[in-house]
Amino acid sequence: MANDRTDLMQGTLELLILKTLSHDSMHGYGIAQRIHQSVDDLLKIEDGSLYPALYRMEERGWLASEWGVSENNRRAKFYKLTRAGRKHLDAERANWDRISRAVTKILQTA
Amino acid sequence: MRDLTRKLFNPTGSEAIEREVEEELRFHLELLTEQHLQHANTLAEARASALGRFGDVEQVKDECVEISKRKRPLTRALKSFLILTFLAGIFVRIFATELHVDRFGQMLIAVGVMGRLFLYVRGLKPAGFRPKSDTSSPLMLNGTAKTPASLFDADNF
Repeated sequence: MANDRTDLMQGTLELLILKTLSHDSMHGYGIAQRIHQSVDDLLKIEDGSLYPALYRMEERGWLASEWGVSENNRRAKFYKLTRAGRKHLDAERANWDRISRAVTKILQTA
Repeated sequence: MRDLTRKLFNPTGSEAIEREVEEELRFHLELLTEQHLQHANTLAEARASALGRFGDVEQVKDECVEISKRKRPLTRALKSFLILTFLAGIFVRIFATELHVDRFGQMLIAVGVMGRLFLYVRGLKPAGFRPKSDTSSPLMLNGTAKTPASLFDADNF
């Protein structure tokens, strides 16, 4: 029986994070919530896996972070997309579309 | 005194990095517990569900600390420079007494120690302000805020 939840492919999480942060700066919990809502529980994502990804993306210059106050008045670390991050999002998005179209085409013809 | 010496000469400031990572993960776990509390019968149940959804807290913390250490090369370089300055001061004080540069040696020692102290104190609260006291968190229902060390103990969380 096929599993109706799919484990996340490597690199996909970064794309989801970049897209989630494309409009607003958010803290880790907010990012996790937004992703869970968006994927409607179709993907299996442990919240903790976000953080190493966030730290790596910040290291690569795609994200910037700063401490601020959350909506419930607690100290929280907020992440936002940098210009390099936005460029990377555009590139990865185009890449994803290309791969997705290619795989769909193969599945339809094979 | 030994603890202070160890902190002053800690080349990567890993304790400040660890504190920052712990604070960030604690914030997430607290909100996740509050969220699960709406559907759980007990606080313990909510905490267990939150931990289940979060994954391995210790592993996440270790990975984040490791990456954080990598991405602060300038701070590491500055700390190394301050340590070298301090050691140069000691060297001057001991071996260059006949050159009458005692004051120069003292200056080097002072710059090394004060600079390292400044970086340490700055690392205690990276954003420069204290969080507001908050009693609404389910982790503080018994009135005692958990320390970062106990936060990641699954039995105590």
